[in-house]
Amino acid sequence: MSAEIMLEARNMTRRFGGLYAVDNVSFEVQRGEIFGLIGPNGAGKTTLFNLITGMTPPTHGELVYKGENITAKRPHEIAMRGIARTFQNIRLFGSLSALENVMIARHIHTKSGVIEGVLGLRPAPQEERATRQRALELLDLVGLADSAETKARNFAYGDQRRLEIARALSLEPELLLLDEPAAGMNQSEKSSLSEFIRRIREQFNLTIVLIEHYVPLVMGLCDRIAVLNFGQLIALGAPEKVQNDPAVIEAYLGD
Amino acid sequence: MEVFLSSYGAAIVQMALAGVLALSLYLPLMAGQLSLASPGFYAVGGYTAALLSTTVFTGYANGSYPIPLIVVEMVIAGGVSALFALIIGIPSLRLRGIYLALATIAFIEILRVFALNQPWLGGAVGIYNIPQPFFSATRIEYLLLALPLLFGAMFFVARLERSRVGRAFIALREDELAASAMGVRPTYYKVLAFTLGAVLAGMAGALNAHILNTWNARQGTFDLSILILAYVLVGGSRTFLGPVIGGAFLVALPEIILREIAGAPGLNPVIATFLRDGRLILFGVLIAVSVFFFPYGLITPELFKRRRKKPEKVTVEAAKPTPNVRGGNL
Repeated sequence: MSAEIMLEARNMTRRFGGLYAVDNVSFEVQRGEIFGLIGPNGAGKTTLFNLITGMTPPTHGELVYKGENITAKRPHEIAMRGIARTFQNIRLFGSLSALENVMIARHIHTKSGVIEGVLGLRPAPQEERATRQRALELLDLVGLADSAETKARNFAYGDQRRLEIARALSLEPELLLLDEPAAGMNQSEKSSLSEFIRRIREQFNLTIVLIEHYVPLVMGLCDRIAVLNFGQLIALGAPEKVQNDPAVIEAYLGD
Repeated sequence: MEVFLSSYGAAIVQMALAGVLALSLYLPLMAGQLSLASPGFYAVGGYTAALLSTTVFTGYANGSYPIPLIVVEMVIAGGVSALFALIIGIPSLRLRGIYLALATIAFIEILRVFALNQPWLGGAVGIYNIPQPFFSATRIEYLLLALPLLFGAMFFVARLERSRVGRAFIALREDELAASAMGVRPTYYKVLAFTLGAVLAGMAGALNAHILNTWNARQGTFDLSILILAYVLVGGSRTFLGPVIGGAFLVALPEIILREIAGAPGLNPVIATFLRDGRLILFGVLIAVSVFFFPYGLITPELFKRRRKKPEKVTVEAAKPTPNVRGGNL
């Protein structure tokens, strides 16, 4: 693994009242790796994603992305720097079609304003065509090209997860955060998910951080794994090492 | 025809303007913002046109005021309204839902009291003798200006909905957090939607100042906020046609009740009196009932899609035994 650091969390802490949802967590994610984030329910995994994407400001700590401090940035500023995410509780634009959902995420790669858009002046028509084309390609990649005009809320749960991934990829991220991508998928979908995630990493040159409960997926897929429990980082390393870590076993099985 | 126009000429012009005002509320709503500020911008636009035509563009006899000057006034009124919208929008669009609605009500109330107390805006009397371009009792000639404004506004909104900026608005309405995670700047697009709505309301006000011949602090008050909201709710808030049809319908309805039904020969005088004096009550009941039976308004996007897409969909599904041929096994 090359040593280029993509994302660095330094002493990230988020307190909700008296509860430390994320407590003094530090780690580095290297370019090109698939980094797993696991831990029991309520361990602070999703809060950590929200901290990285600017949706929840940290109580203290620093976030460095490609050498730049992004700690106090707003979500759209983080998106513009190339960090995309999916949501644990699926947040598609429900009443819009699959195609429109993916097209919206081309926002930062297009620039036509109100006048160009309304009057069809350059570069709006060209951008519109390219955006549509790109969105269709991404829908095809996740296997939803046939349902491009279907409203997002009418998809089955597993398909909604795929649509969210297509939408995130449409942003052309360098760092992709996947929040429980296998949740709601059936066994055969789960088993092909690993293959799919590896494929998009190659195809789009991605660095991927994923939260997942489904242990076989995480163990087989991730280069390194961080384990959170009660907001604290209790283990970090290669899957085999983490799997046999006494602290991890205790966190999952209790004493 | 003449009788018809003398009864309805003014109402027909107001139907078109109601559509424009309804679109001015629809635009911020497209970005998920419930703003009741349209009457405020409508008032600002009216005062702008009233001042310009009585103090700057003077020297034209009533009835021969040049139409191009009205267009110029409308453009300036739109600009002034946009300026107001930027000043108000940037702080108040941090509020959401009902809190934004309340803040915008406060804005129109402040404007009203301000206008009422400013001598240069005519105080309580307002600005009168606003010159007209037509010698007209029926006002129907104003359709020459009102219809292009309405169609222009409809074209604008319809095209916007299918453009990059319109999609950003709709993404914010659907899920602000997800939209911002996709790189959409929430504040920028909310203020933009609010400002575009303000421009439409300001232009409608400028035109109506000429139609009404006078402008004062009673124009563009909270009552109008509720009416415009009713246009959008009854017409439908998910396609630009909804507000336009809702506006036309709700302006026409009380006129028809007043002139046709309440005036019908042989009608029980008690009912006739009720229809004449209580028609606003009837109107309110109708809004309540329609919201109950048509929660998404009379005009919904599905109305058009279903008719167009249904046969196609059936054949596609019948001819597709193997889904996900390529790349589909995620």
